[in-house]
Amino acid sequence: MNAFLSIDLPAVLAATLALVACGTLGNWLVLRKEALAADAIAHAVLPGLVAGYLVTGTRSPWAMLGGAACAGLAAILLARVVTRATKTGASTALGIVFTAFFALGVLLLETQGARQVDLDPSCVLFGSLETIFVASRADASWFATLPTSIWTLAAAASIAVATTVLTFKELSIRAFDPAFSKVSGASPRWTDDLRLIATTFAIVAAFEAVGSVLVIALVACPALIAAPFARSVRGQIVTSLLVSLPIVIVAYFAAAQAERIFHAPHALNASGMIAAFLAAAVPIAHLVHRVVSRDNGGNMGGNMGGNMGRNMRENARDPKSHDLNRRPA
Amino acid sequence: MTFGANTILVLAGCTLFGAIAGSVGTFVLARRRALVSDVAGHAALLGIALGFLAGEALGIGGRSPLVLLVGAASTAFLAAVLVPPLARLRRVGDDGAIATLLAGFFGLGAVFFSLVQSHGSGSQGGLSKLFFGSAAAMTRADLFMLAVLSIGVLSALLFCARGFATVAFDEDFARVSGVPVRALDFALTALLVSVVVAGLQIAGVVLVVALLLTPAATARLAPASIRRTAVLAALLGGTAAFGGVLASLATDSIPTGSAMTLVSATIFAAALALTALRSRVSRAKRATRNIEDLRA
Repeated sequence: MNAFLSIDLPAVLAATLALVACGTLGNWLVLRKEALAADAIAHAVLPGLVAGYLVTGTRSPWAMLGGAACAGLAAILLARVVTRATKTGASTALGIVFTAFFALGVLLLETQGARQVDLDPSCVLFGSLETIFVASRADASWFATLPTSIWTLAAAASIAVATTVLTFKELSIRAFDPAFSKVSGASPRWTDDLRLIATTFAIVAAFEAVGSVLVIALVACPALIAAPFARSVRGQIVTSLLVSLPIVIVAYFAAAQAERIFHAPHALNASGMIAAFLAAAVPIAHLVHRVVSRDNGGNMGGNMGGNMGRNMRENARDPKSHDLNRRPA
Repeated sequence: MTFGANTILVLAGCTLFGAIAGSVGTFVLARRRALVSDVAGHAALLGIALGFLAGEALGIGGRSPLVLLVGAASTAFLAAVLVPPLARLRRVGDDGAIATLLAGFFGLGAVFFSLVQSHGSGSQGGLSKLFFGSAAAMTRADLFMLAVLSIGVLSALLFCARGFATVAFDEDFARVSGVPVRALDFALTALLVSVVVAGLQIAGVVLVVALLLTPAATARLAPASIRRTAVLAALLGGTAAFGGVLASLATDSIPTGSAMTLVSATIFAAALALTALRSRVSRAKRATRNIEDLRA
């Protein structure tokens, strides 16, 4: 088996599945100004990972995944309670809760002799796409030797897509007009809870496979890249995935082939490289949008186009403007 | 538990740091910049990796503290300064800007750390301590630096407190009445970054956020002027740090950063419960009074 099939393809497959899982649901988080929940969940899962190991005594991925999902969900629910009780804003509450969870995780890791869990600190923070590879075996097919994390990610991606497709109408109503969704009963609360659970699962599965850096990037960046061009939620979700996929693949190979491209001494951290590429694409997408919309305005004649472009930008800054920007807090 | 000279050093340093983090955190919270500290902390990692590589390349050794410090502070500052312009882009907002910068700087940090870790010199050993912090490794020189920093922070806060408060509570009013909003935001970011960078060694990348936010949020539960809140937050931060170091010394296995974070989260939870209880009692009292008024 050559290096492409055993190393590159599984890693790209994992990154793509993580993109579908996190990117799809990330659109809803970005629409509702909750993008930082991904950051909080990715840090808050630490005590869950360790507890999963301590309770079951094995490093089975299911125990760690279950523990991590419980911790992530608990952190988000606790942050909601704190937000409601303190009036200091959701981000402060998230900050307080996720640091406390993270501290608890470090404490468990240090005191409970869970060091043999083999949670390398830099691995927890940075993640390593490189650990996903297919060990060459003569007696089994390529599919049979794919690591478990690929299948977990595939499950997370299917759940993410299914949740979005099946409750699309309900989630849109809730995202744009929570008051209407409440009085009309057109969008029951469980759709939101379902989305939260699916999001937590996607983040936890991706965190286990690709690390926290890439999780944060995959949740927030695809939606933000597509946002300036989007005219509908459906369009934004589809665009975000289609535009991000080539970026992910190019970034992966930039890291894997760093010796040849950057004359680095060896391959570089692929998760970090993908995250950096996706983040850089956000301001670039906004720049492209600005240039394109100015050109369109110019065709309509004279100075008016420029003014229109500026007005649109002013509107974007004004929270009361009547476009997609307007979202009740 | 023994109280050697080193123990007293660590206790003094951490308490001092807890106090300045709490007071700066109050103004950061008031300006609604809570998680900018998270961006700054993660972005500092990139600066540390770059500083290490630069130090090795210049031949002064990768672990030269000055180079690492300058590197960490500059990338942290750059990331923190980029938040507002990015947030103003169409449909991005504060949360989107923070998440994007976190991903970008932290991602580049991961890339450069993978270069550092393969460095032949073998002097990169202790760098990963900065992820989780190691307060026990504090030296006399560190304490001196912390003392200088806290004098600087304190004088800056005394000088700018009124301006910070004006900008935080009504930006438009501040602008029209001639308050230098940009300069003050710049100063607040500089304070935030210096606290975050100083805290890397004590609490690590993630937990330094807790030392900034949690005492300040606890202090805000009691209604008071922003100056009083800042003083209260400094007291709470100092107490939490002191308690955390004691707990970590007593058990010998609890890492100091985690202990400080958990003590301060416990104080926050207790204060929150107390506030909820008090507001319930006062509501009940008001209800009884209303009934008595009706009877009279």
